[in-house]
Amino acid sequence: MSLDLDRRGLLGAGLAGAASIGLGTGASAASPAPLAPGRSMADFAGAMKAFRGVVGAEWVFGDEEAVAPYDKAYIPDPAHRYKPVGAVCPQSLEEVQAIVRIANQYRQPLWTVSTGKNMGYGMTSPATPGQVVLDLKRMNRILEVDAELGTCLLEPGVTYQQLKDYLDENRIPLWIDVPTVGPIASPVGNTLDRGVGYTPYGEHFMFQCGMEVVLPSGEVMRTGMGSIKGSTAWQAFKWGYGPYLDGLFTQSNFGIVTKMGLWLMPRPPVYKPFMVRHGEMADVPRIIEAMRPLRVSNLVANCNLMMSASYQLAMFKRRNEIVPDGAPLDDASVKKAAKANGLGMWNTYFALYGTDETIAGVEPIIRASLSASGGEVLTAAEMGDNPWFHHHQTLMQGGLNLDEIGLLRWRGSGGGLAWFAPVAAARGVEAERQTALARQIVESHGFDYTAAYAIGWRDLHHIIALLFDKADAAEHARADACYKDLVVRFGAQGWASYRTGVNSMDLVARQYGEVNRRFNATLKHAIDPNGILSPGKSGII
Amino acid sequence: MTRSMLIMLAAALPLPAMPALAQQGGAPAVATPVHQALGQVLPKRSPEQVYAKVCGYCHGRNVGPIILGRGLPAEAVHYIVRHGQNAMPAFRPTEITPAELDALSPWVSQSPARKEEHGQ
Repeated sequence: MSLDLDRRGLLGAGLAGAASIGLGTGASAASPAPLAPGRSMADFAGAMKAFRGVVGAEWVFGDEEAVAPYDKAYIPDPAHRYKPVGAVCPQSLEEVQAIVRIANQYRQPLWTVSTGKNMGYGMTSPATPGQVVLDLKRMNRILEVDAELGTCLLEPGVTYQQLKDYLDENRIPLWIDVPTVGPIASPVGNTLDRGVGYTPYGEHFMFQCGMEVVLPSGEVMRTGMGSIKGSTAWQAFKWGYGPYLDGLFTQSNFGIVTKMGLWLMPRPPVYKPFMVRHGEMADVPRIIEAMRPLRVSNLVANCNLMMSASYQLAMFKRRNEIVPDGAPLDDASVKKAAKANGLGMWNTYFALYGTDETIAGVEPIIRASLSASGGEVLTAAEMGDNPWFHHHQTLMQGGLNLDEIGLLRWRGSGGGLAWFAPVAAARGVEAERQTALARQIVESHGFDYTAAYAIGWRDLHHIIALLFDKADAAEHARADACYKDLVVRFGAQGWASYRTGVNSMDLVARQYGEVNRRFNATLKHAIDPNGILSPGKSGII
Repeated sequence: MTRSMLIMLAAALPLPAMPALAQQGGAPAVATPVHQALGQVLPKRSPEQVYAKVCGYCHGRNVGPIILGRGLPAEAVHYIVRHGQNAMPAFRPTEITPAELDALSPWVSQSPARKEEHGQ
């Protein structure tokens, strides 16, 4: 085994508290923020002073109050391990390069975020102690939009809101594809985390084209056609020449992506959203079996969402409106509340995009197939201004809202959320087994099965929202245990997460096996010998 | 105002219990557009624009409590934006700049209620 055990053994060590003595640390006497393993106060203070020389004192944060906005997270973290020690906020490529050189000099690890709003995965919390958040939000220039090719080139701090506003104001008929918290999230950041949206461009990384990356050495590399002088195809041709490199910089810590190309979908002449309402929890396999051929053939082209009634209700309701506090969330109560709000036990949202003629051609085929599964196929004509239908109608055309933050108040008001997102092939029997296992686990810990399936081209992302009250210490601890139980027991069945929060990156990385882990570690040690870029990201040290 | 007082004040804000009917997609259309030129960083936004592009997606739309027309102390608004409160995320100085927040806090404090907002 060639894993560098010394390096790995330092994970979680280095807990010598940094005293707050005017050095601008994130420490306080009550809650000392640990430094990175093996680093001294002098190293840290030296790095912070040098960072100030690059970006100015107003964009380096070290004292506890200034670091507080970087320390808010929804994920379970009862021991408060995932705490940054500071933050530095560059506004240019050159500043990023200078910061990386300083980080190498002082061996100060940097936890890179784009807009830091991956809710339920950790926001800006680093995966290991002692990291300074490299906050790229100030790098928010929209560099190019090509209305003919349907492409754009963005910096990491651009939000979906900024991009949509730019397209709307300039009357460019291109759509964006949003994750659920679009207004405040980053297209670059979400794509790097391989997030998923709701339109035919919903598998975000598939629609990425070209990157600019600051390597751990401080050098700048462009992927694809970007390194060819005079090329006009950087945002048009994904593969370039030789090994395809872009994937190495997603869910990883091999570089800092400072520019990214994305493809944008032309606004179709006609957009028609649908909801398919199924009445029973046990309808899971029928829905998947009916939808799979429609997705594989691309008759239904968008990444559609099959939402449980409990997830839907949790967006706009409180749990104690459905069942009394302390009572289990039983199916009969959920069904009653769902029905009162125009919902079924499963609600599957998809849309057709095209012209009147093309939609008229495929709609009967789709209706026949979904009706045969026992679902009611509904449109705006039947659903009207139903808030849940409206929510998905907005998302499936790249519209913006933050409705799903409402999930955070389902149970108490303390704001606890962790996404557990195991992947499976798009087969009904797998979904049926996953739903049964998930319910068994979350209910055994006293939580609710509030979940959805994102039905991809051939896969299922089972998106389980573990909702808990972070203000209740006992419940917080149970959520932490529940999350780990989900990861381990799903893993034992061959179902691993496609993405996970900082609270479980190492755990999930182990499930993908030692060979994969060693390969990643070998790359990491070769290109980042000082271990300065986001140690612990995806379990890579 | 002390930190504990601010937290108590924030905790006392009731959350909406019921959804009203659907809202229209996109940010509430009350603020002038934020013009961001190609190749330029986002310009400084007015309080109305920050509210429309960030706060107003939750507050007054059934997700977070209504905050306009309640005379919330500006210091409390400032504190809660930077720290997050319960289900609310924290917003960093890179997201809502210090200058934007200095203008936003008194604006939220002094703004009248809006009829179109839902919740409490």
